[in-house]
Amino acid sequence: MFISFARPGAAIALAVGIAMSPPVLAQSTTDSAAILKEIKALKEAYEKRTAELEKKIKALQAKQTQQSAKVSAPASTGRNIKDNSFNPSIGLVLNGKAAGFSRRTAPEIAGFGIGEEGERGSEGLSIDETELNFSANIDDKFYGSTTAAIVREDGEDKVELEEAYLQTLPGSGLPDGFRIKAGRAFWTIGYLNEQHAHADDFADRPLPYRVYLNKAYNDDGLEFSYVLPTDQYAEIGGGVFRGDDFPAGGSVSGMGGWSAYARTGGDIGDNQSWRVGAYTLRSDAVSRATEEGELTFVGNSYLYAADLRYTLAPTGNAKNQEIILQGEYFRRLEDGTYNTVAYDDKTSGWYVQGVYKFAPALRIGARYSRMETADTPAGLAGTAVDAGEHSPETYSVMADWTNSEYGRIRFQYNIEDLTDAVKDKQFYIQYVMSLGAHGAHSY
Amino acid sequence: MNRLRVLCLLFIGGMAVPSPVSADLRVFACEPEWAALAREIGGEKVNAYSATHARQDPHHIRAKPSLISRIRRADLVFCSGADLEVGWLPLLLQRGARAGVQPGKTGHLMAAEHVPVLEIPKVVDRSLGDVHPGGNPHVHMNPNNILILARELARRMAILDSENATHYRNRLSAFSDGWRKAMDGWKRRVAQLSGMPVIVHHKSFTYLFDWAALKEIATLEVKPGIPPTVSHLNKLLQLARTTNVKAILRAPYDPSDGTEWLASKTRIAQVELPYTVGRDAGPGALADMFDRTIALLEEAHAKP
Repeated sequence: MFISFARPGAAIALAVGIAMSPPVLAQSTTDSAAILKEIKALKEAYEKRTAELEKKIKALQAKQTQQSAKVSAPASTGRNIKDNSFNPSIGLVLNGKAAGFSRRTAPEIAGFGIGEEGERGSEGLSIDETELNFSANIDDKFYGSTTAAIVREDGEDKVELEEAYLQTLPGSGLPDGFRIKAGRAFWTIGYLNEQHAHADDFADRPLPYRVYLNKAYNDDGLEFSYVLPTDQYAEIGGGVFRGDDFPAGGSVSGMGGWSAYARTGGDIGDNQSWRVGAYTLRSDAVSRATEEGELTFVGNSYLYAADLRYTLAPTGNAKNQEIILQGEYFRRLEDGTYNTVAYDDKTSGWYVQGVYKFAPALRIGARYSRMETADTPAGLAGTAVDAGEHSPETYSVMADWTNSEYGRIRFQYNIEDLTDAVKDKQFYIQYVMSLGAHGAHSY
Repeated sequence: MNRLRVLCLLFIGGMAVPSPVSADLRVFACEPEWAALAREIGGEKVNAYSATHARQDPHHIRAKPSLISRIRRADLVFCSGADLEVGWLPLLLQRGARAGVQPGKTGHLMAAEHVPVLEIPKVVDRSLGDVHPGGNPHVHMNPNNILILARELARRMAILDSENATHYRNRLSAFSDGWRKAMDGWKRRVAQLSGMPVIVHHKSFTYLFDWAALKEIATLEVKPGIPPTVSHLNKLLQLARTTNVKAILRAPYDPSDGTEWLASKTRIAQVELPYTVGRDAGPGALADMFDRTIALLEEAHAKP
């Protein structure tokens, strides 16, 4: 830049100097014209180069500002990504256990053919279930949700599709109070079945769930529910299912089960609430294999259930202090054959539990759970269905620490008396941590 | 087994009998202050129900059966919004499955959507405590906001129950006149309190402090929703000794141990402000709440 401006300056000085010397003027007009022409050419050349250089500088400057804009961009716009709000809610639940059992081999639950999920969990350290959930409103009429659990089975990590359903949204055109859920879900039977195991108050499910529902019933199917327009809460519902999940099994028709339920509940004063329900699940077991394939049931399974839940929060703030009492009763009628031996009998099972939150982060609880068995047909003596004279029962106590809504660590001690003269003492340390989207406070 | 089946049928049948339909506009308010405002504007034409009572922390409520049945029949849901009820209201709306009160409908009124919201966080992360991405939801503590919401509420009521539209408009203008007059009095009184430094348990009174120009210098909670720790309380003790804090404030649902401890160590007045009204509060209750709140602050301010 310096050079390009200095030279035209010199050229002008030269031109002026020439013009100031009259004696040579007349003598050399042709010469001066040539010089002027040369100067003009020189000037033009310099101007051209100057313009080029200025252009280059401008381009460089523009590039520089562009780069600095790129660097500072995240600070100004990184927190405000709107397209992300259309992505589904994502939740992850980490669930790990350390378990110690006094019996190396798991005692049988006398009198019942048990599915794989209903059996005692693995001993020692394990990540029990890692749940991954995606959910979102699909459009103005539907909501969708999928939960996959990654579990360790037979030395391999497997993905179990726990839930994959869509559900109608209010205002979808159905009458008020009416909902339909379709796909695979934890269907409405009793209290615990609808919730994921990590939301339970104890590290394991009570006996009737292990025996009658193989921990939880999540067949493929469709369920409707209707909340009645009454002052007192009342809800009825029912569903039809494929018939592949325990207590059904081996569906051929793809329509092997149906259910119906009714619930009501309310408040007592400001700080107490309750809910009771009655449920039935009819299943057609084309072939329900239990006890690792040793025992196969073919026939109809009729399950009836009743549940009760009562909560008391002394100040109305369940977050600080609360007592929860809960009980469920199940009765099962089976009509069919076990390993081709005719079987037509009734059994039942129940549990009661109490949980006391005495400080915002600390809870203690106790649970008793019991099964009532049936007489064994002669042909089934010695199999898992043969209870002898024993009624399986378990006692549990637990204490847990809840650092926040999203993290909990639990200690639990069980005495399980499942088979005559065999007591299994169990100790669990469990953590349940949830990341990301988090379910609401359901009752 | 037949007996059980009959019982089941009776049970279902018994519940199916609907209760007599009442002509009132049914308002489901999440908090008592909104139920009270609905009664002010609606008078005898509305049946307003508050899901929570004054000593309940509206952040943490269960979607219990009684609330499902209430929302199932509601014509208008009136809540604070800004995620205050995020843990339970969406579930109630879903379970109650009432089309007219879903988000976006006339029957769905969230206070925070109609007033200027304070403390909208720039960064949201669970390690920061119970932060509301939508900003501080306790909007009713600014009396101006009550006036704005009264207007919006009357507008909605007039749409939902058009037969009684004039009734709602008349009641709105009567309420607004009274409220403006009361506000003039409150403004004069809080002018004396301007700049008064206070410590508060939870950020429940941000809108009050903003309106009355009080200075919130610290919260007892380490972070929103995270209870005070010993080290945090000791820090506050140092702070309280070096600044001229006039009062340590809490809402009725906040635990009292933290404010009591700090008050006993510093001899600064600890005050439980009303924060809201009674669950079934009638006309005048909201104005009384502000009267009492200001009186309590004046009392604390007057102490040497």
